[in-house]
Amino acid sequence: MAELTQNEKRLLAVLEKEKKADAPHIAGLLGATPEAVVQWGHLLEDKGLAAVERIVVKEFTFTDEGKTYAQNGLPETQLLRFILPGTQLADLQKHEAFRIGFGQLRKKKLITVVGTQVSKVPGASTDEDESALKNPDATSPRTKELIRRGILQECETVRNVIAITPTGLELAKKGLDLREETGTLTREMILSGSWKTANLRRYDVTKLPKKTCPGKIHPYQRIIQEMREILLDMGFEELYGDIVQQSFWNFDALFQPQDHPAREMQDTFYLRETLPLPPGWEKVKAMHLSGGETSSTGWGGTWKEEKAEQCVLRTHTTSLSIQHLARNRNPPVKAFAVGRVYRRETIDTTHLAEFEQLEGIVMDEDVSFANLLGILREFYNRMGFTSVRFKPSYYPYTEPSLDAEVYIDGIGWIEMGGAGVFREEVTAPIGISYPVLAWGLGVSRIAMLRLGLKDLRLLHKSDVAFLRETPSLRRARGGI
Amino acid sequence: MAVITLPYRYLERLTRTDRKTILEKVPLIGSDIERLEEDHADVEFFPDRPDLFSPEGVARAMRGYLGIETGLPLYPVKPSGISFTIDPKLANIRPVLGAAVIRGVSFDDESIQSIMSLQESLHWAVGRGRSKVAIGIHDMDTVKPPFRYLASPRSRKFVPLDYSEEMTMDEILEKHPKGRDYAKIVNDFPLFPLIVDRDDHVLSFPPIINGERTRVTINTKNILLDTTGTDRRAVSVAVNIICTAMAEAGAAIGSVEIEGVQTPTLTPAERTVSVKECSRLLGADLTASSMAELLKRMRFGAEPAGADTVMVKVPCYRADIMHDWDLFEDVGIAYGYDRLESHPPKTSTVGKPHPVQVAMVLAREAFTGLGYLEVMPFTLTSEEVMYARMQRPETKGVLRVLHPITVENTVVRTELLPLLLEFLTFNRHRELPQRLFTVGDVVVDCRTHQQAAGVSTHPDADFSEAYASADAVLHELSVDYTVRESADPAFIDGRRGDIIVAGKRVGVFGEIHPAVLTAFELEHPVAAFEFDLRAVPGYPGP
Repeated sequence: MAELTQNEKRLLAVLEKEKKADAPHIAGLLGATPEAVVQWGHLLEDKGLAAVERIVVKEFTFTDEGKTYAQNGLPETQLLRFILPGTQLADLQKHEAFRIGFGQLRKKKLITVVGTQVSKVPGASTDEDESALKNPDATSPRTKELIRRGILQECETVRNVIAITPTGLELAKKGLDLREETGTLTREMILSGSWKTANLRRYDVTKLPKKTCPGKIHPYQRIIQEMREILLDMGFEELYGDIVQQSFWNFDALFQPQDHPAREMQDTFYLRETLPLPPGWEKVKAMHLSGGETSSTGWGGTWKEEKAEQCVLRTHTTSLSIQHLARNRNPPVKAFAVGRVYRRETIDTTHLAEFEQLEGIVMDEDVSFANLLGILREFYNRMGFTSVRFKPSYYPYTEPSLDAEVYIDGIGWIEMGGAGVFREEVTAPIGISYPVLAWGLGVSRIAMLRLGLKDLRLLHKSDVAFLRETPSLRRARGGI
Repeated sequence: MAVITLPYRYLERLTRTDRKTILEKVPLIGSDIERLEEDHADVEFFPDRPDLFSPEGVARAMRGYLGIETGLPLYPVKPSGISFTIDPKLANIRPVLGAAVIRGVSFDDESIQSIMSLQESLHWAVGRGRSKVAIGIHDMDTVKPPFRYLASPRSRKFVPLDYSEEMTMDEILEKHPKGRDYAKIVNDFPLFPLIVDRDDHVLSFPPIINGERTRVTINTKNILLDTTGTDRRAVSVAVNIICTAMAEAGAAIGSVEIEGVQTPTLTPAERTVSVKECSRLLGADLTASSMAELLKRMRFGAEPAGADTVMVKVPCYRADIMHDWDLFEDVGIAYGYDRLESHPPKTSTVGKPHPVQVAMVLAREAFTGLGYLEVMPFTLTSEEVMYARMQRPETKGVLRVLHPITVENTVVRTELLPLLLEFLTFNRHRELPQRLFTVGDVVVDCRTHQQAAGVSTHPDADFSEAYASADAVLHELSVDYTVRESADPAFIDGRRGDIIVAGKRVGVFGEIHPAVLTAFELEHPVAAFEFDLRAVPGYPGP
């Protein structure tokens, strides 16, 4: 049984003696208001210790007008008393009750008027009306008439009768702790030691108080941090860099031909700004035109410096990876980046013009495509995806290329990211002579699945209620 | 992406096996099955493999992969005796021409549709929207050789495909749907490319439209293929892919003479590759003969030539083989990615977070300790939100994207605070107090740096709260700062302070100006602050 509050106990103690009583009566005994007593009574009733009976009583009271008549008699009674044999109408008109009384007497046919002469009819009496006024009865037509005339009014009063139940009685008989309750444990009580005798009010532990919301990082940020931590654990160095990139590093250095559809205005955000090409750009040009000194044929066609100088909002974080490699040509290099990338997409529930991409690279003397599969398996396993499989894919700057798929219960195989070995056409011009394993994945895809979002935009235009309600720990079956 | 329709019965006949076997394995050569319908499958292939953009090409690859027919497919070519001349005036307009004769085709509506769709996919993947390569397919029996590829006056008239009236070439660009779509490729030239026959009948106005005269119908028996463009290799690949696909369907290929050269030859290219290099790249233990076998399953000609060398013959339709590694990928595909022994590399390195991320993580920690909730707004925004509503002048060095998608995405953010106020607008109906923060990139003058900002809104939000919160976050990040009165118009005069570090303004805090609140349709006071994370000691320089 739930705990009783101090007030409930006091009420129960009174009821033990009274058994059954009106709320105002109990209120008098407890020095409380009847309303409070009824409220405590209901709380006891919820626990099966008392019963509150609500009795509705209809009562009649006098209006202000009625109060005068109750003392002096109804106007018609007063006027009737005044009529003696030979009373003239003019005399009657002087009486203060004339205006209402005369009409009533005529209506009730208690008087006759002949010329100026007013006389009672034999046996004329208003006793029954007076009786209906003094002892109203809801069923009497006379009482109803008095209500209509605005002399009497009907009102409902509610009586609350509280009675103890056998269970309540049993509990009360066992004895109730009626010591004064203390709400707040104060500094004084702690210092003085009075807490030892204090009766600290007990709380209903099942009742949640008003909710409070902690400050916290965004659920999406949490997923990003989780991925960062996994890669840091796996020995990767983190990269972070500019959103604005030269086409040279975003496309050309990655062997993306200058006429590639992804480089068109409708897919990439171009800026008016340009940057001068870095030293060594001629090697990249030679690679595009003829394959440089490798076994590649290159793309042929033409290669324009102006196109490479133009700035774009980076379309992938690979632009950071390639610059990191250009600065760090000696093996080993293990690096990753998580950053926002931009595609000129029409924004809808599953497409955004900007989204986070995670990318990792490994460069070392003897790393292979099989090692890349190993890294991916390890990474996805640590993300909580236990089933991972690979299939051939195509990316312009990797060869061989693959897509990684993970299995999610209830959904099936889902494509999670792409990977491959950087083409020699990419690594040779920047002076890298070892294989570079590279992989990337869309972070928002995992976020969408894990957070159960149907609209990607909510990651960036979040509802505060969603942020407050989403718990920091959110992981279930198969990494989602 | 190219989604190819594969009718089951045709595919089964060409592949010589059942649909279940084919559909189970087709993703393993590099594709995604989009839809399975009752009589056909729609399968997406990658843009580097235009030779798979037809049922014939897919069947050829699958016969190899499944071991039904391996090695180099041979396509005999007989000279047709037909010749083309090229007008030297085309040198700067559209100089490259490829052509072929395809005899003995038997079309129905479905196979016409199939070759049209191959043509369109090639226009996309190889032709760069017809600018690099455009393909025309003609009923050869409606015209007479020899043919001439001309630079024609724009006033030349002919009846374009799907029309019954003659139109000038200029009119075609203006009125014909294809003319309007592709006008930009030729519009700047004084003369237009045109292919005509002996009697001056128009075959084609490349890259725009064919003539109605040579329309291909179910009665067409012999095809003349014309392929024009700006890049010799791309034009030749397109010709090879169409010719070999038609040959797979049973047609006979004839070469034509262009400027004295017989074309196409459909002969393979040769490459000599190292077994050791391939084994090292894939992480698989291969021998010359096992590697040759795997290559044959991918339809290459391959013969071991010594212990470490394989001589490879690359079929003429494989446009993607630019480098030895392209062959090694095919070896890997034939071997099976799932059969490779995958294990992480032994490379030993130590993980190292980027100092920018370290500072951002610390800033987030300080904010969340104060009860602030993180939001992650977009980095693309508008001048309206960034400056107009803030009553602020435009930040010098703000970047505008050249072709924004919407009016809401015209600039890259230079500050974070306006986006937080916009967030309060989105969440007006949510319970107060609301304390939000964001930490992230802003871009000024092409350089990216990071800022941190917080807002607090509730009926009692005021200057003191803004000051105390800013102070707490700055303190946690060990930023040694002073404060002086600010003139930032986004805040109330007398209730705004600039954060000064080493004599430089690095941030601002205070009570947001009521006119700014009104502009963001907010009804409660907002205490706000923002500062530049470059003020954090030890922050990495640009």
